Formats: sequence, structure tokens, C-alpha cells
Amino acid sequence: MISLELESFAYDDGAVLADIAFSLGAGERALVVGASGSGKSTLARVLAGQLDAGQGHRFVGTLSVAGEQLVFAGSGSDPRIDPAAWAQHVGYVGQRAHAHLSMVCASVAEEIAFGLANRGVPAERMHVLVDLAAARLGLTDLLERDPRRISGGELQRVAIAAAVVGNPAVLVLDEPFKGLDVAGRRDLESLLAALGESGTAILLFEPMLPRDAGPATRVLVLSGGSMVPVDQDVPGSDDLGRYGVGVEGVAANSAPLAHAVGEDRIPAIRIRDLSFGYGAEPVLSVADLAVSSGEAVAVLGPNGSGKSTLLQHLNGLLRPEAGRVQLYGEDLRGRPVGSLASTVGHLFQDTDQQLFEHTVLREVAYGPRAAGRSRKEAERCALQALAAVGLADAVHHHPHDLSFRDRRLVALASLMATGPRLWVLDEPTVGLDLRGREVLSGLLRRHIRDGGILMMATHDEVFAQAVCSRMFRLGAAAAAG
Amino acid sequence: MRFRRRILNPLTELTIAGLLVVLVLVVDDWRFSLAVLLLLVLPAAATSGRAVHIAVAFGVLAGPMLMFLLLLHGLFYPEGERVLLDLGPAAVTAEGLLFALEMGTRVAAFTGLLLTAALSLEVSELLETLTHRGWNRKLVYVLGSALGLAPLVADRAAQITRAQQARGLVVTRSPLSKLRALVMVGRPLIAGLLTDAADRSRTLDARGFAGTGPRTSYRADTDTAAQRAVRWGLLAVVVVFTSWWYVGRHT
Amino acid sequence: MNSSLTLPSGTAAPSTRRILLIAGAVVIAATYLYLVLVQPAEIAGGAGTPAGLTTLLGFLGGGALLVAGILPGLNTQAVVLMPVGIALNISFGQLAGTLGLPIYLDALGTVLIGVLAGPAAGAATGVLSNAIWGLFNPFALPFAAGSAVIGLLAGLAARWGMFRRLYLVPVAGLLTGVVGGLLAAPVAAFMFGAAGTMGTNAIVAAFRAMGDTLLVAATKQGLTSDTIDKLIIFTVVALIVYALPRRTRNAFTFVRRHRVLLGASSGDSGSRDESAAERK
Repeated sequence: MISLELESFAYDDGAVLADIAFSLGAGERALVVGASGSGKSTLARVLAGQLDAGQGHRFVGTLSVAGEQLVFAGSGSDPRIDPAAWAQHVGYVGQRAHAHLSMVCASVAEEIAFGLANRGVPAERMHVLVDLAAARLGLTDLLERDPRRISGGELQRVAIAAAVVGNPAVLVLDEPFKGLDVAGRRDLESLLAALGESGTAILLFEPMLPRDAGPATRVLVLSGGSMVPVDQDVPGSDDLGRYGVGVEGVAANSAPLAHAVGEDRIPAIRIRDLSFGYGAEPVLSVADLAVSSGEAVAVLGPNGSGKSTLLQHLNGLLRPEAGRVQLYGEDLRGRPVGSLASTVGHLFQDTDQQLFEHTVLREVAYGPRAAGRSRKEAERCALQALAAVGLADAVHHHPHDLSFRDRRLVALASLMATGPRLWVLDEPTVGLDLRGREVLSGLLRRHIRDGGILMMATHDEVFAQAVCSRMFRLGAAAAAG
Repeated sequence: MRFRRRILNPLTELTIAGLLVVLVLVVDDWRFSLAVLLLLVLPAAATSGRAVHIAVAFGVLAGPMLMFLLLLHGLFYPEGERVLLDLGPAAVTAEGLLFALEMGTRVAAFTGLLLTAALSLEVSELLETLTHRGWNRKLVYVLGSALGLAPLVADRAAQITRAQQARGLVVTRSPLSKLRALVMVGRPLIAGLLTDAADRSRTLDARGFAGTGPRTSYRADTDTAAQRAVRWGLLAVVVVFTSWWYVGRHT
Repeated sequence: MNSSLTLPSGTAAPSTRRILLIAGAVVIAATYLYLVLVQPAEIAGGAGTPAGLTTLLGFLGGGALLVAGILPGLNTQAVVLMPVGIALNISFGQLAGTLGLPIYLDALGTVLIGVLAGPAAGAATGVLSNAIWGLFNPFALPFAAGSAVIGLLAGLAARWGMFRRLYLVPVAGLLTGVVGGLLAAPVAAFMFGAAGTMGTNAIVAAFRAMGDTLLVAATKQGLTSDTIDKLIIFTVVALIVYALPRRTRNAFTFVRRHRVLLGASSGDSGSRDESAAERK
């Protein structure tokens, strides 16, 4: 079906991948796990045939698909892959599903049909193929929706449907479960299983090993750009940890926290009778919530239950339609968001939209500078925060040139640099690898121990149990909390 | 009373609006411009189902232009001879007021025609028609994608601003603070859009966008042979009329 | 090696596209010359002159010919960038308006695409941007030719290495603004009676009070506003592209091949495979 013998693959700025070889037959499934920065996404793109010498990379190796073998010597006379022909055999969906949208299609059906239309497939045949792909991915009810305005889980399925509508033999998915809640994961998992049964070979890339990876799934471990041998029978052995790969649902260090809950007269956070909605639709209502210093609260609930909405009320990014939000006894009404930055640190769900400076140091020093500190003082705070997250040697890099884990840690450092007492983290563990989780949980524990407060929205109950002292569930029934 | 005008294909509507703009420019008479505005644009806008939307856009765009035209030419028109009111460096002249009237009605007709056509059309239907008519797929893509992206750019800019505010950005009312905020938002916004575009171009290549054969459309063609004939016919009429107006009329 | 999975190497550009490009440039230049040389005497006469029609058809039609000549030769990367530039033009243009800034900023996307994807893509972005924005703001429509020239000049400035030396960037912006201002003036004068924003109107009124004809007043105003606007836009674009992550920056074939930016890796591996995107 597909096989790869990769000797080396390098960008202009150094070797990225070396010594990788595997092949995958019809209906087989393989899972490539590796820490952030181990080269997973690069490998996924190689398999997706995204090798354009004009983009400045050099590939030495052999790639075979559908009985054809392409040999690359890293020279100008290498074969140039026809991306359209390649995609007929190998479907690919990258990490950022929204960037896979064509942006011209007004309905999900047209989005799925976009590739067929480009090849001039007649309309009747297109309808048949689109209906089939939609049925396989559970999208039949969404066909008329605008693909630019659907939820993350739905978007992921649309991107996969668009990749498999031409029925490719191989499907390559880079972290397809990122950001999905339990139900969304389960749905996607069963859809992939059905695809596999119908003969599609599936190659998944994940930062953590899922606990329920079936025995039929082959596990390949990537570390430092190369494939390393691991004991197939004992997933979750120390072997994996050595390569920076953790097993999902296993807490990093689950020693229970001794919570020194402050005996404050006034709770740090106090929410009364809060309600909020986008348009006419109510999204969130919270009757009463009080959090004191030294408390760590996990906000749990399925996608769309209002977790992010609640967190954004804590620094005035959203304003309640009714009810009150108080911090240390003071009502937030009328306080500009910017003036709260040294009290409340907010880590957004989408890290990449949070980073806006062009060096790590400037990024982290932005908060203290905005709070009025001198440049020197701000940089001192920034370096201290960067050292705490273990990125002291990345100060002059562009944040977006770092790996995903490091980008999230930079965002966390930029929050820490202003020294807020209250940390508000929106899904901080999504897509994070073992090391990222360890650093994060260490920092959270230290913050609580020092009397800080944590409000964290998450789907990861195991992580929440390990770090938080209290669970606050949102959702239809538990909204009153 | 609201009812959606759904008689003509968007391409036909745009063609008619464009040809009327040409006629307004050819005839170049404030009475004709005013007649087009009142007898064609007004009823078309009123029955489009988006009358309020069109009226607001028209007010925002054409309103200030009309006011400026009146002030500019009403007060400063050195070619004018019939002075109605002398104000030192400025002077109200009859010729200036007439010129402001000419320009004002023309600008209003021009704006009204195009806005009514554009704001009442459904973009996806226009794209589908262009595809069925065999227009260049790259042109159709740029048109559709730009219109799809524009609102998302605004959403994204708002999100970045929120992230920056959460880190302590406070925008004051001074223009300098606003310009700084603009650059602060612009940098990550554009970096994000360009990264997405790079991913998207690979996706499009994988989905055969670089192909050169005719593209098909998932949606059925809402255009008709009759409307095609009408479009070409109207174009011919306007061309003939224009040549007669400039050349034939005087001989 | 012959395979169904690979592309044939080398494609030649047909000469029909060159004819379209030349025709477009000629139409735009002829329209401008006609307006400047023939019309000024007649403007006071008002009705009965084809000035407005010539402006619209000449500049829009010339722009359309340019797009017809450019578009088939662009690769997917450039085609995908163009809507981004257009959306940025619209957003920043509107933002500058609502923030009450004394500049337009509505060519920011055009200049950005010119710098990242080359003069041809820049020119096409300029024309299509005004055509598309023109659907919702008809005043943008007849300025299409001016926008094409701005995108073209931005791309040429990038190709000639003016973005490698930061002190040359404002100079390039200034020169582009002069050309842009000259091209925009007849449109403003003959289509819209030189009405614009509060600031530009004050400038036109001042020149008119000194006895200038409308076209001359509009030209002087264009030279003042456009030079400042383009100077700021070029500088902002330079600040933005230099702040891009290295990998994003290096992904642009044009930037790599012509070493548009300082410190960007030279196109040694890019130029080896010229045919990858080189379709002129």
C-alpha cells in the first residue's frame, strides 16, 4: 500500500528526520507517537507527498505508493510529486483542520466535493460520492451548513471526508483528536474503525499513546527525528517515557496535594447569578461560585457547555448579561480588561493566536512592560518566567518557530511574568506531550502551594484530578453547579 | 412588507446594474441620474428583502460624499461666473452648485445601482454560475475566497486584540495609541493568515486545483439560456446607444 | 522517470498572455494621457463629455486585461495569497476609516502580496481587490488601475532588493505613492468630483481656493495624501514581513528566489528547481 525508506529529510536549517522505514498494508492501522518536536508533522507531510524542492527541503529516500516507487536523491533531478495524483492514493489531514478548508464553499457538501469538481467529475457522480463520504463520516445532517462556521469536531470530520471522498487507499491524520471531548473522540474513533474495515490503511500521529489503542494497532515511536524500537507488547512501559512519550490517562505524578486553603474573609472569586448568551441563545448560567486563595478548580463539561465562556468572565473579556463577577470583593463592571492583567493571567485555548511578538523574550516581557515596568525590569521578570518553564535558552527565537509544546510554555511564561495571583487556563493540556504535562503540573502545584488560585477548563479528568482540589461541572444538568 | 426578489440570476443582476452605470455616465444628466435612482434603484432595493441593509450602506458611503461635493463645489468653484454669495476666498456660484448637483446625482445613482445588486445577491450562487459559464477557476476562487475571508479576518483581529488586552494592552483614544494598536494586531494577524494560506495552497494542490480542464459545479445551474440572451442583448443595446450618443447624434 | 504520480518538468508560457499584458498597460496609459491632455478644458462644461465613462472603462478594462494576462500564469501558492491580500485591504481600509486615522491603509494587502509573491501577483491583487471591494463600496471600482500599479511597483521594489535595505523601504513607498497619486487624481476628479474624506477635501478646497482647476487640485491632493499613505504602508509591511516566523517567510518561492529579505536563506535549493513554480 504505502512504504517509506527515509534516509534523511532536512530543511535548510539542519537535519529533521533520519533513518525511518516502515510499510503499511490495506486495512492496517499504525500509530506514530512522539514528543513535541520529534518530527511527527514533518513525517506526516512527507507521506502526504508535500515535497516541493522550491520550499527548501532535501529528501533522500524511497517512497512507494500503489505499486510505484519514487527514488529521491536530494538533487535537482528528483521526481516532482504531482500533489493531485498523490492525493488520489494518500489522503492527508494536518493538525489545523481549518486551514484545510478551501474558503470558497458555502456548504459542507461543496467543500467535500471541491476536489471532485476540480477534476471535472460530472454533478450526478459528485452527489453520489459526496453522500457516500458524508455517510461514512456521520456528516449527512450537516451537508447544507457553512463549513466556516461549524465546531472543531465537525470541522475535523469535514476535512477527513474531503480527503477520503476519492477513496484513497491510505489516510494520514496528524493529531485528529486534538481538542475533542469524550463523545467527539468516541465518534471519530468508530468512524475511523469503519474506514479501516473497508480497507483503508490509516496512519495516525499523536503526542501521547492512547490507553485504548487496540492490539491491531501498530505503534511506532519517533524520537529526535528517528524511529526507535520499543517493546510492542507492553505499551506504557518505561521505554516510552525515555523517549518523552506518555500514556494518556496516566497522571504524571499523582501525589495528592496538600491544599492550604486560605481563611479569607472575602473569597478571591465570587460569581453570583451569572448568565450569558450569544444572541438569544443562553450559553452559561452560574448561580453561585466562590473560590478562595490556594484553591485549584477544574471546570469540566462537554464541548459547548460554556467552559471558555465562564473563564472569559474572570478578566472581563466577556461581560455578564445578568449577575455579578467579583475579584477580591471588587466588581469587574467597568474595569478595562488590560488593567486586570497583573491580577488575572489568562491562557487561551488557541495558543497560536495568543502569541504576537517576534521573539520569545519580547513576547514574555510584553505583560510586565504593559504594566508599566522598565524594560530592564520587564526582561528580568521574563527571563525568570522562561527559566521556570525551561526555555531560558530560547529567548531569541521566534515563538512560532518553536515546537507546539514550547509555544504553549511560552504562552504560560508570558502569563507568569506579570505575576498574577489568579491563573485562568483554558484547556492547557490539549495536544501537550509528556514533558509539557510534567512542566505544567509542576508549575501549577507550585502556584497553588504559594497561595495562588487556579481555574482550569479541561476535558482531561485525570490531569484535573491530579492537580485540582475541586471539580466544577458545567452542562445542561449541572449548570447550577 | 418583505419579500425576497428571486427572479434573476446574480450574474444577470450585476450585468444590468453595470450597464445602467455606463448609461448614467454616458447620458451624464442629473435628471436622468435622478430618474434611475428613483424609478429603478429605489423599487429594486425596497423589494430586495434587504432594504434596510442597502439603505444603511448607501447612507454611510454616499452620504458624506454628497455633503462634501456640495461644500467643495458650492464654495470653491473658480470657473463659476454667476456669483450668488461672495465669502472672500470662497464664493457660492450657480455653476458650482449645478456641478455639485450633476456629480451628486451621478455618484448617488452609481452607488445605489451597484450596492443594490451586490448586497442582494447570494455569493455562492454567483460563484456557481461563473463556474457553469466556464470562467477561469482561479478568478472564481479569488472572488469567492476573498468574500469568505473578509469577515473571518475581522473575527480573528478581534480575538488577537482580546489576547493582548488579557496581557495588559490598553488602547486609549489618541490616534498614536490607535496606530500602535493597529500594528500590534496586524503583525500576528497577518502571520496567522499567511501560515493558513500556505497550508491551504497545499490542500488545494492536493485537491487538483492546479488542473487545467473545465471545472464542474456541485450545484445545479440556476442560469437560463433566456437570461444569457438577455445579458448579451442588453450589452449590445448599450454599446449601440453609446456610439449613437457620442457619434451618430451630432451628424 | 515517467510516472503517474509525478509532474512533467518544464512548462512554457504562451505568448497570448504577453499580448494581454501589453494591451492592458497600453489601455491604462492611453486612458490616463487622454484624461490629462484632453479633458481639463472641458470639465467646467459639465454634461456631455465622455470623461467619466472613459475613466471607468479605461481603468477597469485595462485592469481586467492585466488580470487576464497574469492569472493563468500564477501558481496555487500565489492564487491562495491573493484573497488574503484582498481581505486585508478591505479590513484595514475600513479600520482606518472607523478609527479616524488620516491615512487610507487600503493598499496594505496589495503591497504585502507584491512583496511576498512578486509584481505580477501584486498587480492582479490590486485590480481584483478594487473590483471586489467595489461590490460593497462602489467608490473603489475605478481606482483599479492605480492599485495594479501599486502592487506592481511593490513587487518590483522587492525584486530589486529595496526591502533588503530598510532605509530604502520608505523611499520605495514614496515613489509608489507619487505614481499612485498621479493615476488616482483623474478618477477622483472625473468620477466623483474630487470628493473623498474630510482631510482630502480640505486639501482640494485649499487648492481650488487658489484658483487651480479641479484636476490639478486633485492631482496635488493625490500627491500629498498618497505619498504619505504609501510611505507608511511600505514601512508597516516591512515591519510585518521581518517579524514573520522564519519558516513562513522562507515558504514563499518569490522571496527565496530573489532574496527579497535580509537574512532569508538564499535560494540555492530553490533555484535548482526553477520549474517548480517558475512560469513567469
